[in-house]
Amino acid sequence: METILEITDLCVHFPGRGGAPVRAVDGVSLHIAPGETLGLVGESGCGKSTIANAAVGLLAPTSGRVVVAGTDIVGASPRLLREVRAQVQMVFQDPITSLNPRMTIGTAIGESLLVRGRAAGAALRARVGELLQEVGLRPDHADRYPHQFSGGQRQRVVIARALALRPALLVCDEAVSALDVSVRAQILNLLVALQARYGMAMLFVSHDLAVVRHVCDRVAVMYLGQLAEIAPRDALFASPRHPYTRALIAAVPDPDPAVQRARVSVPLVGEIPSPANPPPGCRFHTRCPVAVARCAVDVPALRSVGAAMVACHLA
Amino acid sequence: MIALSVRDLSLAIGRTNIVDAISFDVAPGEVLALVGESGCGKSVTAQAIMRLLPAAIRQTGGEITLGATSLSNLPARAMRDLRGRQIAMIFQEPQSALDPLATVGNQIAEALRQPLAKVRAEVRQMLVEVGISDPDRRIDQHPFELSGGMCQRVMIAIALIARPAVLIADEPTTALDVTIQAQILALLRRLAAERQTAVVLITHDMGVVADIADRVAVMYAGRVAETGPTAAVFATPAHPYTALLLASIPRLSDVPKSALAVIDGQVPQPADYGAGCRFAGRCPRADRRCVAETPALRPVADGRLVACFHPVGG
Repeated sequence: METILEITDLCVHFPGRGGAPVRAVDGVSLHIAPGETLGLVGESGCGKSTIANAAVGLLAPTSGRVVVAGTDIVGASPRLLREVRAQVQMVFQDPITSLNPRMTIGTAIGESLLVRGRAAGAALRARVGELLQEVGLRPDHADRYPHQFSGGQRQRVVIARALALRPALLVCDEAVSALDVSVRAQILNLLVALQARYGMAMLFVSHDLAVVRHVCDRVAVMYLGQLAEIAPRDALFASPRHPYTRALIAAVPDPDPAVQRARVSVPLVGEIPSPANPPPGCRFHTRCPVAVARCAVDVPALRSVGAAMVACHLA
Repeated sequence: MIALSVRDLSLAIGRTNIVDAISFDVAPGEVLALVGESGCGKSVTAQAIMRLLPAAIRQTGGEITLGATSLSNLPARAMRDLRGRQIAMIFQEPQSALDPLATVGNQIAEALRQPLAKVRAEVRQMLVEVGISDPDRRIDQHPFELSGGMCQRVMIAIALIARPAVLIADEPTTALDVTIQAQILALLRRLAAERQTAVVLITHDMGVVADIADRVAVMYAGRVAETGPTAAVFATPAHPYTALLLASIPRLSDVPKSALAVIDGQVPQPADYGAGCRFAGRCPRADRRCVAETPALRPVADGRLVACFHPVGG
């Protein structure tokens, strides 16, 4: 099968306080087909942003393989990495910290085209103007600085910059989380439209399940550094197999009081354990409403259940 | 009976008006949500009620009444005595609102103005009520030893132990994960009902409003656009802003990848507020009158008030 991103047995451990490493990502495998959008959801500390960073080569994994457009980027030379990065671009949560305050946005958007020798002079300026129009800004905005834009406009600038090299994969890490509701809708519509136009694949990392459901084709649910479940969108939301997926969906408040108050959901008890000291067996067993004795001992392997892959003994 | 009444509250930075004559009441045991996007004035309204406004912001008009006490002209000392006893507040980031050097027990006891040794049983009981497991150990721990969700429970314990009539909750679950948010919202709802606390909940999240608010006031650019019972406002929003805001939210029930409703443009800056309706520049229903005149809040169906010359469905 052709993939644009293939992650195999990825482990990312960080040095922790008092010796025990923080196992931010612990044995995750996933892939993205060209043109596909994979959502990566989970709560704080589940490792979703770490996977996003590893996918673009921003951090070196402890072990495992990350293959982007056919090239293994783990341990790749800076030169090879530079070539691969033309294929994969990233959009972060906070656009103001992603943009150089002293660089006009036209320079920022055109920089990758210039340094790679793809365009210069009048041609570069024309291309930057096109990119600005594609994200809903005007070509004459090119001479302005980031502080002259609103938060939503800045995120458009960051998206234009990411699109400049026509990447095959766009990694979005909480790309709409810092935006107000009305602006978030504008950016989500833009991402969906751009993907339809250019057919790029997306890795869409978010803590917001409703947003993920809106933009993604498949969804991976992470808990404490591991995959709990990965399934096509409709299967995941219609019949979640993992108890954690069910709890996560049930915890999203529906913005309709009639629906929300008719729900009989029991909130999950307990806190998320530390990834430096994850529980034995299934990592979710300490909060799982249906756990049995086995769950505290045996690590559940990811296995196929219907359309989904689920890591649960009881699924 | 009214626990908290805000009448025509106006706030300004220098000569620039940022909150314009907003009014609302909250009854004991009732949860009122003030909802809106960044810059709509919801948080400064909360600060004005607590009389904790930053030095640059002045109250230029209006009256805030707590029970029978007018807060607006209360001496600073008398106001200080009310805080924590009659009116309390919890914030978005519990870790930064707690004292890192004091134990959980000492911080809760402080709200009673008593040494912990004297009120230890009461403090322990409060920890149980806010759902902290292992209270005998937690009572002597410091905030850094607790998770974000637990710190918010401690904040709620500090706020409620003296049984204030009014609780102001400013984005209390925004920094929390969704499963923890569900726990904290359930806790707030239960405690407000049991203790008959009037709650003013400040949030940008319509899902949170739908979950726990009895009534809602939708704010836009320093004014109340629409207010009324939550169910009615959500079912048939009358202000075009409310309607568009609700339509722009991705829901678990919508068609994936379908175009979400958008509100063109962006929220105006206070310096750019015009003479008329502040939403007029982005409103699909606006006409010349909307640009020239400020619409007053007026009653529509289902106990609602809306500030619009051309309300949806009206």
